[in-house]
Amino acid sequence: MDKVSIENLIDGLADELQPVPPKKMVRGLLWTAAGWLAGAALLLWLYGMRHDLAAGGMPALSMLSFWLIAATGVAAAWSALRMGLPGVGRDYSGWRWAVLAALSLPIAALLLAVGDGHAAMDVARHGLDAHCLSLGIASGLGVGAALFLWLKSAAPTSPTRAGWVIGLASGAAGATIVALHCADDNLIHIALWHGLAVVISAVAGRLILPRFLRW
Amino acid sequence: MSLDEPSLARLMAASQRGDRAAYRALLGDCRLWLARYFARRIAPHQIDDLVQETLVSMHRKLATWDSGRAFLPWLAAIARYRWIDMLRRQRDEAELGDNDAAVGAEDEAVHARLSIDRLMTLLPPGQAQAITLVKIEGASIAEASQICGQSESLVKVNIHRGLKKLAQLIESE
Repeated sequence: MDKVSIENLIDGLADELQPVPPKKMVRGLLWTAAGWLAGAALLLWLYGMRHDLAAGGMPALSMLSFWLIAATGVAAAWSALRMGLPGVGRDYSGWRWAVLAALSLPIAALLLAVGDGHAAMDVARHGLDAHCLSLGIASGLGVGAALFLWLKSAAPTSPTRAGWVIGLASGAAGATIVALHCADDNLIHIALWHGLAVVISAVAGRLILPRFLRW
Repeated sequence: MSLDEPSLARLMAASQRGDRAAYRALLGDCRLWLARYFARRIAPHQIDDLVQETLVSMHRKLATWDSGRAFLPWLAAIARYRWIDMLRRQRDEAELGDNDAAVGAEDEAVHARLSIDRLMTLLPPGQAQAITLVKIEGASIAEASQICGQSESLVKVNIHRGLKKLAQLIESE
């Protein structure tokens, strides 16, 4: 490419310039929130709400798990939205701290399984809980789609990391939604089947999305 | 020419509103800034192509700059993305060897953060030496092999692995 052709390129780009409204994070945030709410509304409409939630609450441990996973989902979604507006030196790592906090769930479940054989046996007796697992993954697709479309139209400079974070946000959103339906308060069940939905979604995001996010 | 942050940000804001004269001036300034940015990162004969690719990417992604934030880090992020993309293409295509000399450039705050010299210190010495000789200084594989005492195939392997690791390092910055 010589000097003349770069100048031609600049002239060509300038000639085709049209006004462009800057992308606003708040718009992506609203779409993500809408995806979260839509997923929750659909699941609760199809499968119903856990009985004690309508009566005012859920057990403390389930509540704690819910908020830990929700915080992970919010942090991941926020990081994904920020990734769309690039800048050297910008920090996109907020989701890592939320994941670190949420890791307390599987660790606590593991300790519980070692110390309380009944809780572990109870989960083992039920075997694979495909219901919670599949609903957890499916319920988060609204959030995943909103974040994907936001990043697709934006400028993520690390599509691989963006894929991970979209998947994580999608899975965590789905796990919080399924927690409104699933009445099993066993911590091992929550960490295993609800947690696995988060892990599978994150891995799927990493494997599937980066090729569509390159620009 | 106005390569300072406030002037560039003003031109960019005007460009987003559709001001073609401002945009033409902005692209001209960005062209100079990018040429300097890439000068210490890639072989000289590739600079113009990469500047062109970055200008086109910038044009496609104009909406992703927020006037509430600085302009140069935004431009540097797009330049870095195109640079990584080029490193990946080089790795995949194993395009090796040219004979151009490196061009010096002054560092700036944004440049320093992604200085190739600093990144090279994070690579194993063999990989850093192979990349420096072939990809930055423009030596051929045979010349690099003689200079660093590695076999030609080892030079190629070190470049391949080094570029892969370099792309990961740049992404994590």
